[in-house]
Amino acid sequence: MKNKAMQTTPDLSRRDFMKASATLGAATLASGTSRMFAAGSDKVRIGLIGCGGRGTHDATKCLNSSENVELVAMGDTFRDRLESCRRRLKEELGEKVKVTDDACFSGFDAYKNVLACDVDMVILTTTPHWRPMQLKAAIEAGKHVFMEKPVAVDPIGVRSVIESSELADKKGLTIVAGTQMRRISHLVEGIKSIHDGAIGELVGGQCVRLGGGMLDWGPKERQPDWSDMEWQIRRWLFITWLSGDFIVEMHVHNLDVMNWAFNAHPVQCVAMGGRQVRTAPEYGNCYDHFAVEYEYPNGVRVEYMGSQIDGVTNRNDQRFVGTKGRAYTDFGRVVIEGPNKAEYAWDSIDPCITQHADQIAAIREGKRLNEGKRIAESSLTAIMGRMSAYTGRALKWDWAMNASKLDLSPPKYEFGDLETRPVAIPGQTKLI
Amino acid sequence: MQEEKKRMDKRLSRREFVKAAAATSLVGAGPALTSRLHAAGSGAVKVGLIGCGGRGTGAATQALMGVDKSVKLWAMADLFRDKLDVSYDMLSKGAKGRYDRVDFDGLADQMDVPEERKFVGFDAFHKLLGSGVDMVILTTPPHFRAEHFEAAVKAGKHVFMEKPVAVDPVGIRKVIAAAKLAKQKGLSVVAGTQRRHQQHYLEIIKRIHDGAIGEIVAAQCYWNGGGGSLRGEKPEGMSDMEWQVRRWYYFCWICGDHIVEQHVHNIDIMNWALQAHPVQCMGMGGREVRRGGNIWDHFAIEFEYPEGVRVLSMCRQIPGCSDRVSERIVGTKGFAYIDSATGYIKGENPYEPPGSPNPYVQEHVDLIKSIREGAALNEGVQVAESTMNAIMGRMSAYTGRALKWDWAMNASKLDLTPPKYEFGDLPVAPVPMPGKSPLV
Repeated sequence: MKNKAMQTTPDLSRRDFMKASATLGAATLASGTSRMFAAGSDKVRIGLIGCGGRGTHDATKCLNSSENVELVAMGDTFRDRLESCRRRLKEELGEKVKVTDDACFSGFDAYKNVLACDVDMVILTTTPHWRPMQLKAAIEAGKHVFMEKPVAVDPIGVRSVIESSELADKKGLTIVAGTQMRRISHLVEGIKSIHDGAIGELVGGQCVRLGGGMLDWGPKERQPDWSDMEWQIRRWLFITWLSGDFIVEMHVHNLDVMNWAFNAHPVQCVAMGGRQVRTAPEYGNCYDHFAVEYEYPNGVRVEYMGSQIDGVTNRNDQRFVGTKGRAYTDFGRVVIEGPNKAEYAWDSIDPCITQHADQIAAIREGKRLNEGKRIAESSLTAIMGRMSAYTGRALKWDWAMNASKLDLSPPKYEFGDLETRPVAIPGQTKLI
Repeated sequence: MQEEKKRMDKRLSRREFVKAAAATSLVGAGPALTSRLHAAGSGAVKVGLIGCGGRGTGAATQALMGVDKSVKLWAMADLFRDKLDVSYDMLSKGAKGRYDRVDFDGLADQMDVPEERKFVGFDAFHKLLGSGVDMVILTTPPHFRAEHFEAAVKAGKHVFMEKPVAVDPVGIRKVIAAAKLAKQKGLSVVAGTQRRHQQHYLEIIKRIHDGAIGEIVAAQCYWNGGGGSLRGEKPEGMSDMEWQVRRWYYFCWICGDHIVEQHVHNIDIMNWALQAHPVQCMGMGGREVRRGGNIWDHFAIEFEYPEGVRVLSMCRQIPGCSDRVSERIVGTKGFAYIDSATGYIKGENPYEPPGSPNPYVQEHVDLIKSIREGAALNEGVQVAESTMNAIMGRMSAYTGRALKWDWAMNASKLDLTPPKYEFGDLPVAPVPMPGKSPLV
């Protein structure tokens, strides 16, 4: 179980990366990349696709992570979002932002125009729905990719991301996913100790993230000239076809940590959930609570509970139960209880910087760094939980991964009429 | 007798058995405390049925059929005359394919319920307790249990009471006090948590207690199944109170919600296996499909037991979903799976138990034997604690607040009792909203 995941889903933390570079030595995989890099020197030119809050954040971290990295092109569905992002980045980063007016693109095709620019790497931070198609286009165009989690909202999208990740390997392109918890030092150390047997064999676990209704997020007033499509995209967090619902959009972080610790993805799940408090129409069609029981290999059952409800007891932690002890983790520490008692604390190195530094270094050194399949699997873990809760049906991983035909895409991408789909009703909503 | 003793030994966990033995000798020392003496293994038992709905009728048949014909139905009580009459009629004539798991022929030869021992109204239970019964079956909707149990014990009656035994912490405290009084009086109290009387549960749990799966580190319990909505309008001229009591399942103050009313069965197994109650919990849930009344249709609770052992409870009453009703206990050396039909232990000490006789009958057999033998069984505290688990889970989910057992058990003032028991106006409490509904 342990070794399998190391082969299929390489976890390139900084330390593992050092190991990896030692084994790979000077060998490079650069043939087929868009451009050759002389070690450690050449400029890396970045295109930003998706200029919202997270796009602004990731571009800033990326440009600050390494020397000689420049932002040269930007794209967003909306011009106003692009311009405000561009202004902020310029203020923050000055000369590193070299985005001319003719390298700014808006509309549904903006990403294609960014990819046509002379960029080495793109940051994909549009809403999750677009990730699979934009990743595919980026890899086909020969670009390295940093992409935010989640990387899909449905199984069709997950499959596409896996295919694109395989193509990236063939082309020697790197893919890093914005699951920065994988690079938080105490988690890296703590989970390594779990893998090394500190708490024995894993027999249970809990993953709990509760609280935070997000009620003030986004524009609340619909402008008279906004079509249904525009209104939904501007309120994307609460629209399932765009965000995947919060279990996918936000809690994929926590589920990714579970998959990491178990060195595996679940084999099946049974879930429940609903929309109990956040019921106003401006909150679209997403739920406000989910509870999923994931079954990992060897019949190990793991509890996930997540909510976005104001005024409840807040929690954000993961816990692993072994035959010889337990490990508790949150954003600040990992505590190992039992005979191999230990505590790992955060070293305050910003993992959002590390993930970009790792990638820029890998690009320059021509090393393999591809987190595509791993984040696709974590995204499917969350998607499968949502599908089970929405339908009320127990689900198997193999079915969701290989057989489900669920595709949440709207009929067409254009600013026009688009009915908000009804809120899912367990027992009635069809499993597709 | 010897065989019965052996079965009793199996039935009781080591620790409980020691307690039970102590109780037995206490009874031996002071038999005058019990309501009535029974020569071991014989003697008429006059049963009073309080709550003549489907479950009450079922429990009465099981009590009458379980042992011998000297167990008699002696009196009946219900809030509504029509319910009582339907039950009386069915008990006399028999029924096929009852949901209560057994077909039965008419039991008229074990019934002696003349008109003057048929009691109706909110105080019917009081009148029944004064009618000369030895034992009562308490099967009204859960809200009324605590008060009925307290009155029955004070009146010196042996008790079979259905789960759950309360709907709020105030009720739980009353049940625990009455259960302790029953112990002093040497009265038998058996609860309708029939898994405790089911052979394959007994065998598996005994092995868990004996260490077959090592130290318990996690567990799961589920009642994910179907359920309905409150359909139809209140008939013209019917009071709110009558409408709510007749459709009691859909109103939290009477039912306790399905986590309490139904899922308590599975939660009870957690307490049994872990030999403890939780120290705290965190719950969530809601109402996605169900309409009418004010109960929810799904709950998920994380219960934390002593030593930090976390247990997942899930329950759902929504038709068309994947169903699962079972329990699973995970240890350092293996795990156990149990449901109402089967079970097994896997790991270092694998085990598969034989099948079980009908536990709904067995629980009455165990009760009546204990009455006759003067070896009082008392499940009162145990079922009160399991009910409290479920209530605490519901309170946590309704409010969105993490809760501690000690607070819920000792400090919570939650009391769902309506202002008065009379057929009049009674507004329906709003459906709870986590983060908004107050924790009381």
